[in-house]
Amino acid sequence: MKNSIIKTVGALGLACALFILSSFVKEPEVSYKCMIQMTNYTGEKAYVVVSLINPDGTYEKTLYVQGDDKEWFPDLKNWWEFSDGTKENVDAISGATIGNGERNIISLGFNAAHIDAGYKVRFESAVENQEYYAVDAEIPLNSATIKEKVDGKGYIRYIRMVPNR
Amino acid sequence: MIVSVWRYSHLLFAIISSIFLLIASITGVILAVEPISNKIEPYSVSGADELSLAETLENLNAKYEEILAISRDRNGFISVTAIVDGKNEAFYIDPFTGEKLGALLQKKPLFQFATNLHRSLFLKSTGRFLIGLASFLLVLIIISGIVLIAKRQGGFKQFFAPVVRENFSQYNHVVYARFSLIPLLVLAITGVYLSLLRFDVIPDTQVALQVDFDSIQEEPFKEYTEFDLFKTTPLSELRELEYPFSEFVEDYYIIRLKNKEVYLNQVTGDVLAEEKYPTVQVMSSWATVLHTGEGSILWSIVLGLGSLAIPFLTVTGFIVYFKRPKTKIKNTYNKNEGTYIVLVGTERGTTLQFAQEFHKQLLSAGKKSHLALMNQYTHFKKMEHLIVITATYGQGEAPASAEKFVQLVKKHPQKQAFDFCVVGFGSTAYPNFCQFAYEAYEVLGNLENSAALQDVFTVNDQSFEAFNNWSDAWSRKVGLNILLEKPKLAANSLPPSTFEVINKAEIPEDDTFLLSLKNLNGSIPISGDLLSVIPEEGARERLYSIGKLNAETLLISIRRHEQGLCSNYLHQLGQNEKLTATVVDNRNFHFPKNAKKTIFIATGTGIGPFLGMIEENSHKKEIHMYWGARTTNSFNLYKNYIDKALQDGKLTNFKTAYSRNQPEKIYVQHLIKQDKELFVEVLKKKGCIMICGSIAMQKEVLQELQQLCNEHLGKDLSHYQNRKQIKMDCY
Repeated sequence: MKNSIIKTVGALGLACALFILSSFVKEPEVSYKCMIQMTNYTGEKAYVVVSLINPDGTYEKTLYVQGDDKEWFPDLKNWWEFSDGTKENVDAISGATIGNGERNIISLGFNAAHIDAGYKVRFESAVENQEYYAVDAEIPLNSATIKEKVDGKGYIRYIRMVPNR
Repeated sequence: MIVSVWRYSHLLFAIISSIFLLIASITGVILAVEPISNKIEPYSVSGADELSLAETLENLNAKYEEILAISRDRNGFISVTAIVDGKNEAFYIDPFTGEKLGALLQKKPLFQFATNLHRSLFLKSTGRFLIGLASFLLVLIIISGIVLIAKRQGGFKQFFAPVVRENFSQYNHVVYARFSLIPLLVLAITGVYLSLLRFDVIPDTQVALQVDFDSIQEEPFKEYTEFDLFKTTPLSELRELEYPFSEFVEDYYIIRLKNKEVYLNQVTGDVLAEEKYPTVQVMSSWATVLHTGEGSILWSIVLGLGSLAIPFLTVTGFIVYFKRPKTKIKNTYNKNEGTYIVLVGTERGTTLQFAQEFHKQLLSAGKKSHLALMNQYTHFKKMEHLIVITATYGQGEAPASAEKFVQLVKKHPQKQAFDFCVVGFGSTAYPNFCQFAYEAYEVLGNLENSAALQDVFTVNDQSFEAFNNWSDAWSRKVGLNILLEKPKLAANSLPPSTFEVINKAEIPEDDTFLLSLKNLNGSIPISGDLLSVIPEEGARERLYSIGKLNAETLLISIRRHEQGLCSNYLHQLGQNEKLTATVVDNRNFHFPKNAKKTIFIATGTGIGPFLGMIEENSHKKEIHMYWGARTTNSFNLYKNYIDKALQDGKLTNFKTAYSRNQPEKIYVQHLIKQDKELFVEVLKKKGCIMICGSIAMQKEVLQELQQLCNEHLGKDLSHYQNRKQIKMDCY
């Protein structure tokens, strides 16, 4: 009886220690350079949000927000539902909007464990008073194919990604 | 009605857009601060603009592993976007050392709020449209305003001539509108332009460069520091430089300069594609800079002040509109019943008030009077007497309600004989004083069955006294007894004060006397102000010019009229008796502070205020006085004051004209001719001429001065009057 208590406590303690330790061990990060090239649509500058989608097809986290005026965030409906609901702080990962025909180059960081594990990077876009694209472009987080150019369906012409130097 | 069209559209557009313009201008003032506060941030590096792109890239590449782009904003600040530790970062740098100077400027919440309100009133597209429309209306308001100023000033040549001051709102509305004209016009036009751009009315054309990927060369390899474009382009020309996305030769440098966009092969440095910005894009860029003031502190300040003028102009504009008398004409007798026809030519309605008073008194005297506008001239079946009372607009043109008068008189000859007279309202501060009245007089005089009852009678600066004089003269001629009621003085009067009579000096044969009054409570006037005395309840007030001898003692000089209610009331006041009267501010007749030389012209009791001004001339400025009276005897009343002033040096010169001392009559205006050198000099050197006395004398003197101006100064008398070098107080 005594033995089993010691065993249990020991196992729990070990689990705890492992858990606490694991938070100190930095998970390896992989960073990719990503280019968002816009089409020659007409209208205001586009709002684009880049999110990590888990294998279940739901939002995991926001990677980048292209758009600096929160007034228009709710226009990106699906993402806003997730982001507003989880009270994410996106200030640190947002940048200026870009106009039609322009391109934006950003750096995206991923947890190495998410690579080749069924995760995807989703690009959704909206323009003031125009259509909203829930999935403008989507790229599987697959190290073999990630360098391939992916065409967009909405305001994005294509997406290109290369590993960072 | 040409002026009216401009005026009404000016007003109408202002009413429609006022709320939007107020919001846009107030937020605009706030937003004018933003570019200034940005520009003064310490991110400017001296000498950076002369650095070449090659040098800049070399400096920065040495410092950062992966740069995505370099840009230069309108403030001249250089920033980079780079990947630092796997993260996107953008910050200002020193292009010599690559050192980070600070994070990119974030739009402050206040400015973000003001921008949204300014652009779209928080109503998104609807708001954008409303603001754009208000901007367009502002352009129209400005254009109609320019026309109105030109009309008021008498032509575009006189556009920037001094403005005649009627009241605070009118004067400052015109003055500030002229000051803020340019920035407002720029703001309004660029505002419209930016709105049109927003709504795609002006197509926002983009540069769309095509790269022929088949012909991209991979050699010869060249160091980027050796690329011609990088070597020859200074940093000041740069807007943005994007690094190639990857090391593949298909990825290239994208370089946006001030005037063109260039793609550069990253290996060989060849130009892959190049295009100048289309005109629309250049214009849009200019419109933005002009509208926001971005990058220029000076222009931001100009725009801010221009914006600030809008609330001011809106308020004064509405005050001008609401203060304008709006009197409707009501008639008991129609045009075919009236024997007395009173016709009015008025621009802003002031003249109409006088005509209405006259018309009212004709009716109460039991006469069939019909009041109409001059543009309503037609057959008047029973007309016996025609009275035309008209203002003059701008450079001697017909006022709004009289523009068709001349044609109508010719078109509608009257069947019966009638007599007529013309009263001209105007201001000698405008050139061509009462010009239109003379024109009307001539047209009427040319008719076969008309008879002029008297010459054109002119009324300066809406003087009730002058109008009353005319009315007296006219009613005597037609055998009526008309007494006009003076309109109440609306403002500028202080509460009544009590005065004690401390001395009365008199010359009975001359019917003149001088009252010295002690001010018992409060209101301290300035020499030249008026004392309003109401001799008994319900009686009409009389005004006397005040000469202030010292803080307590006032002097008024009075001519006693046999029937005069007020002069007799004042005359019977004994020593130490009390008198209740009101001091009325008369700003236009105060002693000029800045004039080096001043000339006083007075007749009879008009000397009163000057006695005070001379007494107060402790700095012993040059004052020349010309005084006219009937006989030497009249002078005895003032002799002590004048002699003492001459002795003390407070008065430089005293010259007199006695009309009845010798067989040929001499008047003050004759003295002007004698001393014309002095008068010319005073006018030339910004001195001042002050005139006080009878209206008859004023007319003669002004005529003499006008001639002097024409002959020796080459300018109209109104020029000097506008500069307050001629001041008058006549009755």
